[in-house]
Amino acid sequence: MAPIRRDILTTGVAAAAVAAAPRVFAAQTGSTNSFYVKGNVRIAYREAGSGFPLLCVPGGGLNSRMGGWPTAVFNAPEVFKNDIRCITMDQRNATGGESTGPVPVDNPWDAFADDQLGLMDHLGIRQFFFFGNCIGGSFALKLMERAPDRVAGAILSQPIGHRPEKPDVMYDSGKDVWAPEFRKLQPNVSMETIEKYLHNLYRVRADFAYSVSRDFVRSCQTPMLVLPDDSDAHAYQTSVDIASLAPNAEVTVYPWAKPPELKARTFNRARNFLKAHQPRTAAR
Amino acid sequence: MDPIRREVIATAAAATAVAATTGVLAAPAPQAAPGTAFFMKGQVRTHYEDQGGNGYPLLCVPGGGLNSVLASLHNGPFDPFKEFKADFRCISQDLRNANAGQSSGPLDIDRPWDTHTDDQLDLMDHLGINKFMVIGFCIGGPLIWNLLKRAPDRVVAAVLAQPSGFRPEMPTLTYDGNMMGWGPELVKRRPEITMDMVQRYLTNMYKKNPDFVFTVTRDFVRQCQTPILILPDDIPAHPYKVAMEAAMLAPNAEVSMYPWKEPKDRIPIAVRQIYSFLKAHRPATA
Repeated sequence: MAPIRRDILTTGVAAAAVAAAPRVFAAQTGSTNSFYVKGNVRIAYREAGSGFPLLCVPGGGLNSRMGGWPTAVFNAPEVFKNDIRCITMDQRNATGGESTGPVPVDNPWDAFADDQLGLMDHLGIRQFFFFGNCIGGSFALKLMERAPDRVAGAILSQPIGHRPEKPDVMYDSGKDVWAPEFRKLQPNVSMETIEKYLHNLYRVRADFAYSVSRDFVRSCQTPMLVLPDDSDAHAYQTSVDIASLAPNAEVTVYPWAKPPELKARTFNRARNFLKAHQPRTAAR
Repeated sequence: MDPIRREVIATAAAATAVAATTGVLAAPAPQAAPGTAFFMKGQVRTHYEDQGGNGYPLLCVPGGGLNSVLASLHNGPFDPFKEFKADFRCISQDLRNANAGQSSGPLDIDRPWDTHTDDQLDLMDHLGINKFMVIGFCIGGPLIWNLLKRAPDRVVAAVLAQPSGFRPEMPTLTYDGNMMGWGPELVKRRPEITMDMVQRYLTNMYKKNPDFVFTVTRDFVRQCQTPILILPDDIPAHPYKVAMEAAMLAPNAEVSMYPWKEPKDRIPIAVRQIYSFLKAHRPATA
């Protein structure tokens, strides 16, 4: 199906769903996004370019939203839009975004994977590449665990990782940055619920990339390219560990975001990585 | 030609040629170690190792400065012969006049870098190989740049691991090291070579153009379209700054993580990047 026609259809489906769910979608007016709706979950997304699909997830922790792309170190939809079909989305309940749904207290990482796979299903896409900034690294690994036959390759850019000397960086960021804004939007969600949610995200498996085990990564055959960072939330060691454990992972130079020439080369390497791992025919 | 037959012929030819050459190669003909062979061109005897097979040719330049020999390749941070044998036909050689090696020839004072490039291209010719990829450690960096200058249409892609380069704060480092190490040993083995000749040879190598990667200019690197992968190091003889500058100048260069040799568990990640790079740039047919 032509991308433009698909957009029109999906927007139409979303519009119908919005009309049918006034409580959840009351805040939506005049959005330029397309929407995918499943039950109580509504996902805002956009597409650019054509070709093999690449699902691009922005950084920003629990505020992973499309509005973050213009200031991202690696603005994947912009970088790849002339090479590939880029799809991007607001994550569920990111403040400043337009995706909403219940707070999935018991299975937070799986819920994000559900939303991402659900969007791919909605677009009729079976196999795709994945690009994730920041928290997107943990999403990527979870997706590979959940749908190993669907993720053809993944780029993990500045992935988050557990830092034993600062074990609550991600938890605190969720509690202090994301939660106050989120509770303004959904005051019916208690702080107790949020703390339980954050606990299950970051404290139940307080190690490595949070969302999967090291054993899983050791067994994961999906090609990966890791672009390390080294901030409190983005532990360099986690990037190296991912690249060391995963049998088909590679890692870029670090630092790579500066100077601009090096950044451009890193983008080229990412582009070449996608080209090298693109299946001959897109399995739809 | 069948690789074993080629080796037998090459060894025999080397022995004959060595016997016929009394000046440069006064020493008795050495025995080729298992898996290695000799070939002669004029007064130059090259001791080489050819993995054979149908893989795409990958010339491997060992580290060790002017003592670059096959053993350094097999005992380096990783051994390309082991790591890449599934898809590549690895070929390597002792550098001419390396002390622990078995390649020898005249000390060409006026063309120090070019004589090594001649030897590399001659080896490829001898093996009937037109186009090839190259990976080089240490001195392999400057040698690869010289190869790219001399034979841009033959080198398909190049990997420079821990490349050596000029360090302005230690401008005579490499010269001094060779004047103290490689030179005296060579003179002991080769009475026709004097320390004065060694001094002039090393001056032309390392003091005449004391900058950057020694063998080519920044302008050359800037216009070099060959795909390049650089794995930096940062010891005195392998300046990180030069490695990164070359990677930034060459339009089709990429660079590995750094450090990549320590801790040891990073080496496989670097090897994986090299393998992907080589496979990505391997032409469909040799």
